[in-house]
Amino acid sequence: MKAKCPAIISVGRTQFGEHYEIEPEHLVWEAGLTAAQSAGVERRDLEACHFADYFLPITNKIGLEEGFLSELLELNVPMEITRSFSSALSNACNAVQAGKYSLVLVGGMEKMTDRWDKIRDDLMLLEDPWSYYAGCTPEANHELMLRAYIKKYGISGEQLDILNMALAEFAVRNHSNALKNKYAQFRKEISVNAVLKARATAGRPLGLFDFAPISDGASALILTNSELAESYTDKPVYILGYSLATDYITFPSRNDLTGFIAAKLAMNDVLKKTGVKLEDISILELYDQSTMMGMVSLEDLGFCEKGKAWIDIHKCCQEDREFFELNGRKLFVNMNGGLKADGNPLGATGGAEVFEVFQQLRQEAGERQVKVDDELRYGCVHEMEGFGTKAYVYILGMEPDEQ
Amino acid sequence: MSSEPIERRVAYIGDRLRGSRCTLCGKEYFKPKNYCGSCGRKSYGMIENIDFFYKEGTLDVCTFVNEPTNKFTKLSPYIYGIISFHDEKVRFPGRITDLLIKNNDEIDLSNLEGRKVVPRFRRRHAVDPSGIVPTISLAFSFSDEYYPYQEYRIVKPSKEYEKPGIVGYGAYSSKFRIKEETMERSVPFIDEDSITAAVEAGKMALIHSGADHKSVAKVYVGSESNPYAVKPIASKVAQVLKLGEECQAEGVQCVDAVDTEFACKAATSMFKDAASLVYYPDLEETHSMVIGTDNSQSATRGEPGGELDLFVGYGSCAFIFGTHDVIAQFEGWSSITSDTPDFWRRDTQPYPSHGGRFTGEPAYFKHVTKAVQKLIDQLKLEPPDVDYFVAHQPNAVFPTRVAKALGFKEEQFLPGLQVAKFGNTYSGCSPIGLAAILDIAKPNERILIASYGSGAGSDAYSFITTPQLVDKRTRQKFTIRYQAENKYIDYVDYATYRRFKRGMHTT
Repeated sequence: MKAKCPAIISVGRTQFGEHYEIEPEHLVWEAGLTAAQSAGVERRDLEACHFADYFLPITNKIGLEEGFLSELLELNVPMEITRSFSSALSNACNAVQAGKYSLVLVGGMEKMTDRWDKIRDDLMLLEDPWSYYAGCTPEANHELMLRAYIKKYGISGEQLDILNMALAEFAVRNHSNALKNKYAQFRKEISVNAVLKARATAGRPLGLFDFAPISDGASALILTNSELAESYTDKPVYILGYSLATDYITFPSRNDLTGFIAAKLAMNDVLKKTGVKLEDISILELYDQSTMMGMVSLEDLGFCEKGKAWIDIHKCCQEDREFFELNGRKLFVNMNGGLKADGNPLGATGGAEVFEVFQQLRQEAGERQVKVDDELRYGCVHEMEGFGTKAYVYILGMEPDEQ
Repeated sequence: MSSEPIERRVAYIGDRLRGSRCTLCGKEYFKPKNYCGSCGRKSYGMIENIDFFYKEGTLDVCTFVNEPTNKFTKLSPYIYGIISFHDEKVRFPGRITDLLIKNNDEIDLSNLEGRKVVPRFRRRHAVDPSGIVPTISLAFSFSDEYYPYQEYRIVKPSKEYEKPGIVGYGAYSSKFRIKEETMERSVPFIDEDSITAAVEAGKMALIHSGADHKSVAKVYVGSESNPYAVKPIASKVAQVLKLGEECQAEGVQCVDAVDTEFACKAATSMFKDAASLVYYPDLEETHSMVIGTDNSQSATRGEPGGELDLFVGYGSCAFIFGTHDVIAQFEGWSSITSDTPDFWRRDTQPYPSHGGRFTGEPAYFKHVTKAVQKLIDQLKLEPPDVDYFVAHQPNAVFPTRVAKALGFKEEQFLPGLQVAKFGNTYSGCSPIGLAAILDIAKPNERILIASYGSGAGSDAYSFITTPQLVDKRTRQKFTIRYQAENKYIDYVDYATYRRFKRGMHTT
C-alpha cells in the first residue's frame, strides 16, 4: 500500500527577470495556469491554494493577496499566503497528508524590481532590524560569514586564493548551467576573471557576480496525494520528506557564524524521516543567494566536510565536469543556474528549484538533463528565508515512500 | 523609522546597549530578557540587567560597506562587522565610526579584526528633516586610537565639604580637525551632533567623578545647536547615562532634566543653579550635572554670516556638582545681562546671523569686563590673587584683549585659552577652557571663569581647587591636552569639513 506522501503532478513557472508590465498576481496566475494545464487539472477542481510572496505588501503595496488571486482565478476556495514557496509547499503537504485536501495549487511570486530604489533597505530591515540599524547591507552578512569562515579554518595564502577562486568558479558554473535554461534571468556566460574583477571594483570580499540578483517572477505546482497522483500523470514526483528549522534573527548572536544551523537541522531531520541516504541524492538545488552561501550550504547539508567545500568546488570546476564528485558519488548542483543565474524572486525561488528537480527526475529537462551511472533516485531542494533564519529541505523521488 | 513607539524602544535598548545575564549559568544576551533560554523556567527572576555602554569589546570580523542601504549613504564607505564582549559571550552587529576611508585598498580587513573597540553613542542613520533623530550605540571606535577605553567605577565618597563645588568633569571633542592658518578646529564626524557630544562629555564626567549616576538629581544641557526646535537633549542624556534612580518597569529615570538656551552661556549660566541645588539642606549625597554642547553653526563662507565659518568648532563639556569629594569649591559668582542683539538665529533658520563689529565692543567686552569686575570686587580680590583666568573664547583675540584689560598676565590666561585647538565650541567653549585648567591646576588655586552669551550676558565664577583634584586625575585619560595633541587626529580638507558638518541631513 502506498503511503500518503504528497505527489507533484505538474509544475509551471515564468521567466525570471524584469517584468515591469505585469502585475505580481498575473505572474503567478500565468505560472499556475501552466501547471494546471499540463496536468489537465480543471481550475474548479482545486480545493485550496497555498501562495507565497516574501514582501509584496511592501514592494507593491498589496495586502490581501488572496483576494487578488481569488478574483483572477474566479475561485472561492481556501487560500493562504506565506513568505516562501517552501513554506507554502510544506503547508500544502501537511494538508494533503492529513487528508484535508486532495488537490492543491501551490504558487509563489515576487515583484522586486518595482521597488528597486528602496529594496535593499526593505530586505535588510526584514532580515534583521538590529543589523540594519548598525549599518548592515544584504551583502555584508555574506561577507562576514566568509571572513569568519576563513578565520575559523585558518585559510591563508595560496589556500585563500584557491577559496576565492572556487567561489568565482561556482558563479561561473551557475551561469553556464543557466545557458540551457530558457526561463533563467541571465543566460550569459561569465568568466572567472569577470567575477574577480567585480570584487576588485567593489573593493570587497565578494562582488556583483557573487550575489543573486533581484528578480520578478512566479512559479507553481499542483499537489495531490499518492493515491490520486497516477490518475493525472504517468510520472508523478513524490515528496518523500520535508523538514524545516529556524534560527535567531540576528546573525551575530548565533552560535556558529560559519554556517546555517537551520539548514543542517532540517537536512538531518529529513534524512532521518525518509531513510534516504545522502549518497543516493543525485540532484541538489541549492539556495545560493551568494557563492559563499552556496559553498557553506554544501557543508550544512552534509555533502561536503566542514571547512572544505571550497576544495571540492575548485576540483570539480577545474576538471570541468558537470557534476561534483563527492565521496565517489556524482552530485549535480544547480542545473537551472542557481539563484545567481536563474534569478531570485524570493517567493517564487523555491518553486523554480522544485521545477528543476521535477523535470530532471522525470527525464524531461532536455539539454539540461543530467546523466547518472545508475538510477536517478533522489533530488533535494534547499531553500532559506532571510539570512538562514529559516531553512527548508525537500527530498523528491519517483517512487512513493514504501516504508 | 516612522513610528515613535518603535523609535522609543530601539533607542531605549540601543543607546545604552542594554542586555541581560542569567545568574544561574552566566549566559549573556543583548537586549533585556526575563528568562534564560538555556536554563528555562527556573531562570525566571534570576536574570540581571547588564549593559555594555562602558565596556570594551573586540571586532571579530568585518567587511567594507560601500553600497549601503539608503539611510546610510552619507556614512559610506564604512566598516561593518561583528563585535563581541566578555570573551564572545555576547555579540553585536556594529559599524566602525570615526573612520574616514578614502580608498578600500588602504585597509586590510585582517588588520582590523581582533582589535579592541568601544561603543560610541551616535546618530543611527539619516531621517527626513521633520523626523525624530535616531540614535544608537552600535557604532564603535578603536580603543587604541583617539578615544580611549575608560572604566566607570562608582567610588564611595571619602570627604564631605561644607560648600558645594565641582566633583568631576569631562570634555569631548571629535577626532577630526580642520587646520587653517594658526587655528585648528574640532569637526564632528558625520554621525555626530550636539546630542551625541553631550552624552560623551557626561559619560566622561561620570567616569572622572566616580559619582554614582543614580545620585544625579538634575541635568542641565545648554546648547544652541539642538537638532530639535522643540524636544530636549537633556532627556536623552538622562536616559542614556541612567541619571537618577531608574524605574525599570516604566523605563523612566527619577531625575529632572532640562535644556537651557542663552547663546554661548547656556551651560555656564546654570553652574550656580546646579551648585545651589546640591547645597539644599538635608540632602543625601546628591549631584547635579551641567553640560554645554554645540556643533557650532555657521553659514558657508562667502554667504551672509559666513565669517563664523572660520571659527566654529564642535565639542562638549560636562561638570558634575556636589558636596562630596569636591575638586574645586565654589567661591562666588556674578552675572550681567542686557538686551543686546549681537548674534541670533531665528526659528527655522539653519544658521545664525551676527552684528559684525558690534559683537565685540558693546557686546562681548562690556559684559565680560563688568561681570569679572563685579566678582573681583565682591570677593575683594586683585588680579594677582587669581591663578587662572578663563574667558569665553569665540576667537583668540577677544579673550586675550579682555584678560589684558582686566590686568591678567599671560601665565594666568593662556592655559585656559583653547580656542586655537578646538575652535569656538559655543556653549562648550569657556567650559573647555575651565577643563583645561582643572587638568593641570594644583590644590588651593583660584580659577576665575567668565562666560559670554550673545543677547547678551556674562557669568563670572570663582573656584578654589582642593587636594582631591590631584587624586582624581588618574581617572581623566581624555584630557584637553590629550585631545589637542593626539597623534590620531585626522585633519580634513574644507570640502570634507562641510560634508561632516552637514552630517546625515538629506537636504
